[in-house]
Amino acid sequence: MSRTPEEIVRASLEKHGSGREAVMEILTDVNRELGCIPEEAIIATASAVGVSNAEIYSVVSFYSFFSIKPRGRHIVRLCSTISCVMSGSAEVLEAVRDDLGIREGETTSDGRITLETTSCIGLCDQAPAMLVNDEPHTRLTPETARAIIAGLE
Amino acid sequence: MAAGKRLLLGDDQPSIGEALIKAMDMSPADVVFEVRESDIRGRGGAGFPTGIKWNLAGAASGDHKMVICNADEGEPGTFKDRVLIEKMAWKLLEGMTIAGYAIGSSHGIIYLRAEYPYLVPILEKARQDLISQGLLGDDIQGRGFSFNIEIRSGAGAYVCGEETSLIESLEGKRGEPRNKPPFPVNSGYLARPTVVNNVETFAAVPHILLGGAEWYQGLGRDDCSGTKLFSISGDVENPGVYELPMGAALRELLELSGAKDIAAVQVGGASGSTVTPDELDKPMSFSALPPGGSVVVFNSSRDMLDVLENFMEFFVHESCGQCTPCREGNRRLLDIIRSIRAGEIASRDDLKPFFLLADVMKAGSKCGLGQTSPNCFVDIITKFIAFPGDKEGA
Repeated sequence: MSRTPEEIVRASLEKHGSGREAVMEILTDVNRELGCIPEEAIIATASAVGVSNAEIYSVVSFYSFFSIKPRGRHIVRLCSTISCVMSGSAEVLEAVRDDLGIREGETTSDGRITLETTSCIGLCDQAPAMLVNDEPHTRLTPETARAIIAGLE
Repeated sequence: MAAGKRLLLGDDQPSIGEALIKAMDMSPADVVFEVRESDIRGRGGAGFPTGIKWNLAGAASGDHKMVICNADEGEPGTFKDRVLIEKMAWKLLEGMTIAGYAIGSSHGIIYLRAEYPYLVPILEKARQDLISQGLLGDDIQGRGFSFNIEIRSGAGAYVCGEETSLIESLEGKRGEPRNKPPFPVNSGYLARPTVVNNVETFAAVPHILLGGAEWYQGLGRDDCSGTKLFSISGDVENPGVYELPMGAALRELLELSGAKDIAAVQVGGASGSTVTPDELDKPMSFSALPPGGSVVVFNSSRDMLDVLENFMEFFVHESCGQCTPCREGNRRLLDIIRSIRAGEIASRDDLKPFFLLADVMKAGSKCGLGQTSPNCFVDIITKFIAFPGDKEGA
């Protein structure tokens, strides 16, 4: 059922066209579906748009939400900017790290979860906050964060 | 004390499409004139007069003019545009459509930050609703004016809030700021004349057209025009988005949100200014205390060196690396902050080279990131940090 990187790029090209200005949309589609942007997707995008692989690689490497490295099925992004820190995001991070046995930037050995910290995600009024894939979770405590993460398949 | 009229998030909203229809009864030049006379300045933070921007783009040579909405609010502590989209997405789309009519553009793009994927369905629904009501799309209301809006995503880069980086990103490139001139009004997205405005700026446009320039202008205080959304967080009882007259005193916002035991306030995000309890009566205006969208309150339990370190870690991470003063300067400032923490700096005088570095960063960086990132260093070190070698009372 899962599509190959090339298939995702092809479907994305149909939606967004093959102009250079479609690149962010194509990469976002690949990144969302696979959790990362593998080399095959970079090559397919580059050849469709008509630029070098290096050019697309340089775009991928610029943005925090894109990853070349394979990531877990779920990506947890915990905010590490000021309002979240003041509301206890460091304690939440520690709890999640302990539970998963990984540090930020790493993926659990079963490929289930990648843990990242992120710059401000604009949920400062409900701090501390995190994104799990595309879903925001707010007013976290170490306990609620653990429970949310334990519930991910 | 009455907080004044709430437009953007008030209960009393115009009906959808009313302002657009009124605009289309006017000439494009009159719409630009009305916006210019209202004196509204960009709500993203930089404060460029919106009417002048529209005028320049409208007058620029070149086909396929573009209207771009900057929905990439990334300044720490800013979330006003998220709330505005959650509650009033239609108003943003209507403001963009009016801008399209005014400058002679049929194509708009919303650049939405990657951190807000859950807003995409909200924007998409608002877009479809407007299309089905004949207020967006081809031949709007049978007037022969067409305007379409695309929703596109960023991928997590603070610098893309800078308008030329944002345009680079939309063109499928690294979000590195461009040299200016040419300015986007002359050569922006795909080298087309382009207006880039913040979410809140576009959302204010329908109110300006319906109420008139003079009325809108009268809503502001301290030589400012209109109302403004403020995101407030940190040590306050009721964090959230508040709408006040532009130019209202900082103290008024702090009272509304229930801030107590105030030791410091960060106004305008990490790139803004850090103020002391003596400065709370300053107006949040472009000339006194530019507010951007963010206010963060610190009580007396907070260590301002922690705050500064957090801000500088943010800038080190978010610098695009293009300009050396910004790329290396932020790192140097972070290093010295850590040395201060380690007790290795005896007195403020030892930091003279770093204040000089701050000046170099401000003067030698291409975009607002490097030009403003040293502000928090200068403010916090000068106003809040005591050194062993300081004289009594410093």
